[in-house]
Amino acid sequence: MRGRTNAGLVAGGALVGLVVLTAVASFFWTPHDPTLVDAAQKLREPGGGYPLGADKFGRDTFSQLMVGARTTLYVGVVAVGIAAVLGVPLGMIAGMTPRGWLSELIMRVNDLVFAFPALLLAVMFGAVYGAGTLTAMIAIGVATVPAFARVARAATLQVMVTDYVLAARAAGRRRPAIAVRHVLPNIGSMLIVQASVSFAIAILAEAALSFLGFGTRPPTPSWGRMLQESQELLFSTPRLALWPGLAIALAVLGFNLLGDGLRDYLDPKLRRIR
Amino acid sequence: MRRIGIWIAVGGLLLATAACGGGDSGGSASGTPKAQSLAVGFVAEPANLDFTSTEGAAIPQALLVNVYEGLVKLDQAGEIVPLLAEKWEVSDDRKTYTFKLRENVKFSSGAPFTADDVVFSLDRVKSDWKLKIKSQLDVVDKVEKKDDSTAVITLKQPSNGFLYSMATRLGAMFSRTGVSDLANKPVGTGPYVLGSWRRGDSIQLDANPSYWGTKPPLSSITLKYFKDATAMNNALLTGGIDVISSVQAPESLQQFADPNRFEVIEGTTNGEVVLSMNNGRPPFNDKKARQAVRHAIDHKALLDTAWAGRGGLIGSMVPPTDPWYEDRTGDYPYDPAKAKQLLGGKTYNVKMRIPNLPYAVASAQVVKSQLAQVGITAEIEPLEFPARWLDQVFTKGDYDLSIINHVEPRDMGIFADKSYYFGYDNPEFGKLLASADQGTEQEQTDDLKQAAKLLSDDAAADWLFLFPNLIVAKKGVTGLPENAISESFDFTALAKQ
Repeated sequence: MRGRTNAGLVAGGALVGLVVLTAVASFFWTPHDPTLVDAAQKLREPGGGYPLGADKFGRDTFSQLMVGARTTLYVGVVAVGIAAVLGVPLGMIAGMTPRGWLSELIMRVNDLVFAFPALLLAVMFGAVYGAGTLTAMIAIGVATVPAFARVARAATLQVMVTDYVLAARAAGRRRPAIAVRHVLPNIGSMLIVQASVSFAIAILAEAALSFLGFGTRPPTPSWGRMLQESQELLFSTPRLALWPGLAIALAVLGFNLLGDGLRDYLDPKLRRIR
Repeated sequence: MRRIGIWIAVGGLLLATAACGGGDSGGSASGTPKAQSLAVGFVAEPANLDFTSTEGAAIPQALLVNVYEGLVKLDQAGEIVPLLAEKWEVSDDRKTYTFKLRENVKFSSGAPFTADDVVFSLDRVKSDWKLKIKSQLDVVDKVEKKDDSTAVITLKQPSNGFLYSMATRLGAMFSRTGVSDLANKPVGTGPYVLGSWRRGDSIQLDANPSYWGTKPPLSSITLKYFKDATAMNNALLTGGIDVISSVQAPESLQQFADPNRFEVIEGTTNGEVVLSMNNGRPPFNDKKARQAVRHAIDHKALLDTAWAGRGGLIGSMVPPTDPWYEDRTGDYPYDPAKAKQLLGGKTYNVKMRIPNLPYAVASAQVVKSQLAQVGITAEIEPLEFPARWLDQVFTKGDYDLSIINHVEPRDMGIFADKSYYFGYDNPEFGKLLASADQGTEQEQTDDLKQAAKLLSDDAAADWLFLFPNLIVAKKGVTGLPENAISESFDFTALAKQ
């Protein structure tokens, strides 16, 4: 049990670390300007300063991947941030007033949003407010709110019946104080796990949206758009699709493994076994 | 599990039958007409079949010349040739056109085609048509029937554009008894008639058995509509269609490189891919800023990267197939230093709002990269096409730079309208166009050459490239129209060997 838990956590952490490191490094250095069009380097084979070759615009694939990592993380952080900031308080309110009308309202609205596909919401936002990274992030974030609210509510319900919360209530502590002092710290581990999983979903969503032309605006590098631009060259230069595809797969795998690993690591029951 | 097996068997049987059917028709005895059909892939499906009231290039593309015919048509070289008119005479004052009509021409409904239908069709343009382009026939004063096979058209003033307009959809001949349901049931004199229309998928045209001219070699043609370029490519690779009418992803042509299976035809079009600059607001109300943009763009590199080097370079709003074409590509050679000098060391931030179409998105990235070299930062914003782009850029004029393929034939006149989204305002240009339309043919050519030069000198816009007509066909398909310089995709000669 112990070995497996750690392997997933370590592998996930390493992959996520790699993505973060690449993104940070891209602020300081890339081999080439990732948006510079250079007709002389069109579809250049890998090698000689272009480790992964160049695309049909003569742009360095490696530099694009590096800056694309930045876009990916940016989207993930903001989308998950929006979802957590809105979803966690809503879920906690619902969990702390389980029989109130407010709880009922929150959870039913939640169900409503949950039933709406995130991609469709993002395409709608894009059509109304103009396609762009920010609209994509907000749409993905809003669509992820129910996931956080549900996890927060379920966890809060568990915490609310523990002895220390009952003691705090008996001692006359007010609800907001209980929420901050007792509930939030004890549901934190589950939220971190949820954040990690949602991060992976947000990355996929952004890639899909950019592929459809509703995400990051050209020429800002994005893995999804790199895939889309390589589509017409799929038969002649498949490597152009391979690298961004691999990057998306590894990043998503990394965040999923990290989420799984964290869950096992942070779960008090499993911790006791260790 | 067993049921699936049965269905697979049935499917296999169907395929085998289809294959046999194909073999039969291919090998039928000479003398009997071959029952052959072809499927051609297109990108945009018509909203309905009525090009008298609905804008959009897809309707005349499918129907004009194939189902509807005019008195004259444009041939592949861009010449006006007789169609339903055997010949025509122009009076000395160039205001009266006398058309001698072909006899024994029948509409697909069985009604004979006479001079009455000419009068009816052209009067109908004025009374019933709802398109902006109908103003091209405002020059017509009256249309009269002399006898059953002679029609006389009198103009208000001499016009060089008149006969050309007659070769477009404006000159299509309708039956007096066949206009009740134009959106669904076209009635024309052409070699094909509408067979069936599966909305969202395909239109089938069947050979017209009572066609007056040479009977078409095929018994039917299916126009299949695809929203996605890759899906259309795959359909040709797997045999779902026989022809791609217009390749939307030129880099993918390498898939069709095998000359034993496919033939790639590259022709020319009327489509000028224009980098439009908003002449009506800063910074591009300043001629120097516009000239700087033209000098800053390496057009050759742009065409090579954005559109796989397919197409041609032009320097003004005239394609090489028009009689007044002059090579203007040398007017603004690629010269970033000169561009910087024209900008006077200033830097600008501009909005490049483009339609979300493949050629525009690809070109915009090159333009942005090249403008950045001279100090112009362009933010690219792809807008959904057609609705949002038409609303924001075309109608409201809220843009600094945009990129769009202006496909209409002989469309230099759009620059004369200062309310058009270019916002270009030079009275001199309007005067040249007016005098060109009324002058002799030689005067027309001279005036229009001068007008094209004026546009280029003023840098009213930049012309990125001339859109190529890229057709891919299975080997053995013949009679494809190489150039897309008229409004229609001419199926008349299409055949399969």
